Amino acid sequence: MSPPIAVFLTEEGTVHALDDTCTHQDASLAAGWVEDCRVECPLHESTFSLTTGEVDQPPAKRGVRAHQVTVRDGEVLVELSTAAPKLPPGVEVA
Amino acid sequence: MIIDQLDTPLTGTSLKPTPAGVAYTDPEIFIREQAEIFEKMWNAVLRADSLASPGQWRTVTVGREEIIVVRTRKAGIKAYLNVCRHRGMRVCTTAEGRSKTLQCGYHAWTYALEGELVAAPNLTSMPDVDRGEHGLKTVHVREWLGYIWLCVSPAAGSSAPPSFEETVMTEVSTRFGEVQSLENYGIEKLRVGQTRRYEVAANWKLIIENFMECYHCATIHPELTEVIPEFAQGWASQAQDEIHGASFGAQVEGFTVDGSAGVAALPAIAEAQDRKYYAITVRPQVFINTVPDHVIFHRMYPVSAAKTIVECDWLFLPEVVEKQLDVSRSVELFHRVNLQDFEACEQTQPSMSSKAYDDGGALVPSEHHIAEFHQWWAQQIGPFARGR
Ligand code: FES
Ligand code: FES
Ligand SMILES: [Fe+2]
Repeated sequence: MSPPIAVFLTEEGTVHALDDTCTHQDASLAAGWVEDCRVECPLHESTFSLTTGEVDQPPAKRGVRAHQVTVRDGEVLVELSTAAPKLPPGVEVA
Repeated sequence: MIIDQLDTPLTGTSLKPTPAGVAYTDPEIFIREQAEIFEKMWNAVLRADSLASPGQWRTVTVGREEIIVVRTRKAGIKAYLNVCRHRGMRVCTTAEGRSKTLQCGYHAWTYALEGELVAAPNLTSMPDVDRGEHGLKTVHVREWLGYIWLCVSPAAGSSAPPSFEETVMTEVSTRFGEVQSLENYGIEKLRVGQTRRYEVAANWKLIIENFMECYHCATIHPELTEVIPEFAQGWASQAQDEIHGASFGAQVEGFTVDGSAGVAALPAIAEAQDRKYYAITVRPQVFINTVPDHVIFHRMYPVSAAKTIVECDWLFLPEVVEKQLDVSRSVELFHRVNLQDFEACEQTQPSMSSKAYDDGGALVPSEHHIAEFHQWWAQQIGPFARGR
């Protein structure tokens, strides 16, 4: 089972996929602010790289998983990362 | 006792009655005015260019509500009641700011600039919560004359606000002849040269009544009467049905504190509007004064029965503001007029609760048009109980 995945389309037209759940608290990164190939968590100031999932500043301390994306004939295909998901305290994969 | 506060005078009488003193002091009447007048009508609150870029917001008060006015990324200017839908904390807690979202500082419910709830701690584990439905409550917005106008009720979505065209624009056109003749001044393209904020210890109706008449001009406005000598006769620009342009004195070069020349005239004004002063009241809270080279735009915010905040903008051509031309003599003239008027209103307010004013005061013929304002006011708030 995988936690929810967020798929992003940047203003430049590139497509990316990250685990949707912030590592600090249960917030959906899909609702975050996308700029310069990063997404800012909608709740606090941490931002995550859309390509690697790495985090820049607290309060989140761990990055999220980034997934491989291919766009074929207008369809977005995501290949799940095999790493273990990093979920915030209290959130479990259903 | 329930009374009809406006008895029509016998025809031919010089004096018409004003409302009783209680109309200017009673907190319950004031609440009714907030609910029935200010919250139901369109109020001008901000210059649209004061929210220049997406994410910029300001808080304003209309009636009993605090409102966030924000420039969004995708939907132009929007306005919301400044009340978190979670447990009610103020979402924005300062007068202005710039942010990517509107986030409540209590439990971090986070709203998009466009209003919907986008995030909240643990929201993902509450899939039954509809984010649109729990967004900030919307307030109706219009832009006109370069100002943002708000209408608080009815809540957006429940039913339509009063038609802006039929209320605000019609009010302007019945006073200004036609909207066009006001549009000659191109107010939407002007820029703010200066803004002043006055805290006036007087009921808002005293301020409107004062603004509508010029019977006081020769007594309290020496500088204004120098520039516009006909004001000494006591007839205001708005005393007749259609607005009357009040002429500058023969030696007067411009609408400035010493009658010296102002800056370059606004390009589109009609010939008949040159060397003239016009004034209108847009109920319930806007006064517009136009002169050939600038426009003076007042907005009133009643705070209590005995306190009103007035903000006054002096608007000039963009190049005048950009080149930082000296407009101090233009600003000084109406700033003095404001201080003189507000002082008179403040000296009147305490008498409103005196026995001597139980039955109100009197309007002389050059003030009779104010009775129409009183009738309108009485219609909006309905009958009230008089008591001391
Ligand atoms: S929930 Fe994402 S940074 Fe706090
Ligand atoms: S009151 Fe705003 S988040 Fe709780
Ligand atoms: Fe005055």
